[in-house]
Amino acid sequence: MTTSNGSTVRATEAIDFDEKGKLDTSLFRRLWQVMRPQRGLIATSLVLLLLNQSLRIAQPLLVALAIDLHLAPPHDLEGRWAHVAEAWKSLERAVAGVVGTSVHPLVLFAAAIGVLVVAEYFARRGQLWLLELAGQNALRTLRMRVFRHLQRLASSFYDRTPVGRLIGRVTTDIEALQELFSTGVVTILGDLVNVGVMTAVLFLVNGELAIVSLCVVPIFLFVTTFVRRHVRRAQDRFVSWRSRMAAFLHEHIVGMSIVQSSTRERDTRDRFGDVTGEMLDSQLSVVRWESTLSALIEMLGSFTTALILWYGGGMVAESLGAQDAAGAGLTVGTLFFFVDLMGRFFQPLTDLSLKVTVLQNAASAASKVFRLLDHEESIAEREGARAPAPAGGRIEFRGVRFRYPTRPDEEVLRGIDFTIEPGERVAVVGATGSGKSTILRLVTRLYDVTEGAILVDGVDVRDWPLQELRARAAVVHQDVFLFEGSVLDNLRLSRHEIAPEAAIASATRLHLDRVVARFDGGWDALVAERGKNLSAGERQLIAFSRTMAAAPEIVLMDEATSNIDTHTEELLSEGIDELLSSRTSLTIAHRLSTIRHSDRILVVHKGLVVEEGSHDELMARGGRYRELYERQYDAG
Amino acid sequence: MRTLVELWPWFRKYRWTYALGAVALVAAVVLRLWIPTRLGQAIDQVRDALSSPDTADGAGALAARAAVAIVGAALLGAITRTTSRLTILGACRLVTHDMRQAIYARLTELPPSFYLRLSSGQLLSRALNDVQNVQGLTGPVLMYISETALLFGVAITFMVGIDPLMTGIVLIPFPIFVWRSRQLARRIQEGSRQAQDSLGSMSEKLGESLGGVQVVKTMGLEEFESRRFGERVDAYRDLQLDVARARSTLMPMMGALGGVTLALALLLSIPAVVRGDVEVGQIAAFIIYLQLLAAPTGALGFVISSLQRGAAALDRIDEVLEEPPGFRTEMAGAPVEDVEGRIELRHLSVRGTPGVGGEGARRELLSDVSFELEPGRTLGVVGRTGAGKTTLARVLARLEEIADDTYLVDGTPVERLDLGGLRRRIGYVPQDAFLFSDTLRNNLTYGAPDAPEERVLEAIEIAQLHKDLDQLPEGLETVVGERGVNLSGGQRQRVALARAIVKRPSILILDDTLSAVDTDTAAAILSGLQRVLGTCTTVIVAHRLSTLRRADLVVVVEDGRVVERGKHDDLVRAGGLYATLWQSQEEDGNPFQDPAEHEEEARR
Repeated sequence: MTTSNGSTVRATEAIDFDEKGKLDTSLFRRLWQVMRPQRGLIATSLVLLLLNQSLRIAQPLLVALAIDLHLAPPHDLEGRWAHVAEAWKSLERAVAGVVGTSVHPLVLFAAAIGVLVVAEYFARRGQLWLLELAGQNALRTLRMRVFRHLQRLASSFYDRTPVGRLIGRVTTDIEALQELFSTGVVTILGDLVNVGVMTAVLFLVNGELAIVSLCVVPIFLFVTTFVRRHVRRAQDRFVSWRSRMAAFLHEHIVGMSIVQSSTRERDTRDRFGDVTGEMLDSQLSVVRWESTLSALIEMLGSFTTALILWYGGGMVAESLGAQDAAGAGLTVGTLFFFVDLMGRFFQPLTDLSLKVTVLQNAASAASKVFRLLDHEESIAEREGARAPAPAGGRIEFRGVRFRYPTRPDEEVLRGIDFTIEPGERVAVVGATGSGKSTILRLVTRLYDVTEGAILVDGVDVRDWPLQELRARAAVVHQDVFLFEGSVLDNLRLSRHEIAPEAAIASATRLHLDRVVARFDGGWDALVAERGKNLSAGERQLIAFSRTMAAAPEIVLMDEATSNIDTHTEELLSEGIDELLSSRTSLTIAHRLSTIRHSDRILVVHKGLVVEEGSHDELMARGGRYRELYERQYDAG
Repeated sequence: MRTLVELWPWFRKYRWTYALGAVALVAAVVLRLWIPTRLGQAIDQVRDALSSPDTADGAGALAARAAVAIVGAALLGAITRTTSRLTILGACRLVTHDMRQAIYARLTELPPSFYLRLSSGQLLSRALNDVQNVQGLTGPVLMYISETALLFGVAITFMVGIDPLMTGIVLIPFPIFVWRSRQLARRIQEGSRQAQDSLGSMSEKLGESLGGVQVVKTMGLEEFESRRFGERVDAYRDLQLDVARARSTLMPMMGALGGVTLALALLLSIPAVVRGDVEVGQIAAFIIYLQLLAAPTGALGFVISSLQRGAAALDRIDEVLEEPPGFRTEMAGAPVEDVEGRIELRHLSVRGTPGVGGEGARRELLSDVSFELEPGRTLGVVGRTGAGKTTLARVLARLEEIADDTYLVDGTPVERLDLGGLRRRIGYVPQDAFLFSDTLRNNLTYGAPDAPEERVLEAIEIAQLHKDLDQLPEGLETVVGERGVNLSGGQRQRVALARAIVKRPSILILDDTLSAVDTDTAAAILSGLQRVLGTCTTVIVAHRLSTLRRADLVVVVEDGRVVERGKHDDLVRAGGLYATLWQSQEEDGNPFQDPAEHEEEARR
């Protein structure tokens, strides 16, 4: 390679954005940077989460107390549980002091539970909402950051990166990051806290029974991890078959006339049967493992109940007698409390293992996004670059050679030299692949030349500030960039330095007013997305007017090839004359009239300017131009 | 109910599986509910035993017995539950498998006019998403509904056994919560749908902006574009937050249901406590029941939605399945052995089918078209876009349904000829040059899987594919199509042509096949064709009129009618539509641009 800077060498390699990412500290650090602005919301949500989790445990605790104090009071209570009961009793007395003894103490329980329910509702609601808000805000910022980054990347990047993949980064991958918030770190923390608090409370109430009940947990974890691995494997298989099935179906729906005219209906039906058969197999295996899993979870729950009943209710009670049992904190109330709490114990454990998977997916999505953000590949602006004073728009190509970074083997331009004087009107003609579009791209520095130099107003384009260069040399593209908005908006493109009156004035010089007069609403008439409601000629006229309003020194035009009706055709060619008069212009010409009206024609062939001159000169010379010209017309 | 009737034919095959599943489900639910009862009983028994010193020793045995019973019930419950899930969820996969097969089989029988009515995206969504929704309906939804109904039925029976009045009062909050959850579920789903659309419009904007990145850059529109993209990002975020708002209300609300009923139950137990005859085990069981009932209630709102979605999906699937297959050949005689290639149209008219929901009138695509073509002759078809040329090509390829006695091959009306046999003798190259994601060789031999190697090579030669073949990494074994090597439009067209040549047809129909092939190559292909398929009747639909200079007959189609016919030179001289088209091609064309360029530019 003949390039001087190192970045272009790297630029030829495709970037593997799809490499799997890992959950590591550096990734978390970067994620934290994204979330940092939302830390207030996240912290509040976390506090609410802790509140919510403790309120959830308070409910069965109250029921247990109610049982032991009023529904099935044991002879007397001792130990830690007795302290809890005593505390509640003093509360009851205090309340009775205020409202009198006519109210049954159970009403206080019901009221307390009611308050807890309401508090839990608001805590949980607030927690979920704040977390979601934080997530959506962070994602919005990240999306915009990626978008701005993409805008800065050089054309060479887009030459080898499918746009679809970039869209995936901004939509699907960032979407996966959302999971990080809604089911991610904070909720995992919540589950851990939940399990921790429940364990602590169980031990507090009765250590022995707690140990016995928690015996089930390792079994539960072992069994579910094992079964879940199978579920996941079956699911992966199913997903891959489903996408194969969808691809098959899509292809055969689109190509059905080929299937029918080739009389392969029966054959493709069999093949579709094979694909869906495989998919069915994988689906059934998912069902088998999932059914097993859910049955196991339910069964282990019941086992725990039985265990608590047998150990707590039976053995301990029998060996100690009822009074001692109560002293050890074993009452009907605590038994109920254990059964209830163990019933809630498995859910967060199940969730935890599921969330780890979600987190892994989010991490790999995040690392893809970050890798894209880390990728620097842009046309560098020289430091302290300053635009020269307007000099009428002189363009000079000096020994320009060029290869596209994505196709380094192919020299597209092989030494191009020409000068366009201020005010001159030049057309470029040549067959596909001759390099004529490339010439236009190089002037506005979408790419840098491989060798040689391009000078605009006497200064190398690499020494221009990019913005200035592109403002001085306007490009009129084949496909006119139009968006949903008024005609006037489309003319100004929200450049505030162009006054609406000025925009209308330039458009009127190109006779766009005659076209606009036919629209409902005139200049305020609505242009549909991509200008779908306008004809090709109308779109072109808008493009001309827009360029005119920006008042550039140089116009670079890629003439539209689409068929245009005769009326608009006239307007257009008058428009071109008006736009190009007293400006320097370089046009990739498709229409004979454009070619004939040019001061000079450059004939490009295989990366070289092979001939130049006016139409008559070139016809008289009888070279490549004439050959091309005649081949077209003799074909008739 | 109607939905169930419609589903019955699909269920029939698996009715015993479903029946077994139903029995297992009932058993599982009863067992699951029996456990709290037994637990409550055990608590009361143990308490009674402990209350008097004489029987205290037996308390442990009582508890142990109850524990064993619970373990037994849990085991049995796990078995029955697994059985019910395996049978019902398994059967629903089988049902939808059958459905998918039926849909595909029907799709292979439907004429192209059907494919014009429903876009490929719509059809795909019917075979994928709609079937998916029906799967939800016939499996999980069915199971959830029956289980919840059973759960309520059995639990309420048990609860009424404990205390009827208490049961009645405690259940009051349920309908209120269900109603509210239904509201929220609807809002969540509607919101999610809108958010999805909004995400679509966001990625559309992104695609537009990145696809046109050179335009954006040269015009200095970076700021402008990022503001417009920002608007869509914001809109999406706002919709997501709407959904989040509803969701963050629904989830805690369902948690609250358990608590509210619990508080009620405690209040209601006061009279018994005051009387002093409280059975604490029963109250414990009662509370556990309430929690079992509260758990599935939250999902009810979503289940109703999937029920509706499933029913609507079933209707859409039926629409495809009830579409009558095309191409009646009831009177078909012996299988078609060989075809000479004489084709004749007699006053052929084709009406377009209206779009879904009747939009778009049934306009005439072709009206009163007649011509005759001797074997080995070439017919050119010319006309503006939308004139009916492609419809005509499809009729001739026997892919369009037509009235009897309007299309004759070798003097026999096509409806009397075996459909498959006739199609095997016709080579049809459609406009879009579709290729399957398969090896190049399999694509070439698609119409004639047993074609010998030399015929394949010969077709490659004629279609001028040999040079392209060198560029492909694995030659003939290279996978092409959507998921393979991306061929250019011109290459695809030539592969599609070669595919038809490999078939060695008696009738060859080229629908604007060489539009993306440059003039020189096109000429080489046409002369090659003549050499190999000398006796083959050829129909060429063309935009580039120079292709038709050697045709034996050219018909000019305008609004579905043949407005001019004759040879190229005569038509040019006649000064009609053909002459106008010819002239405009001569003048408007760019002398320095070959047709491949259109495509090149379009891809940029």
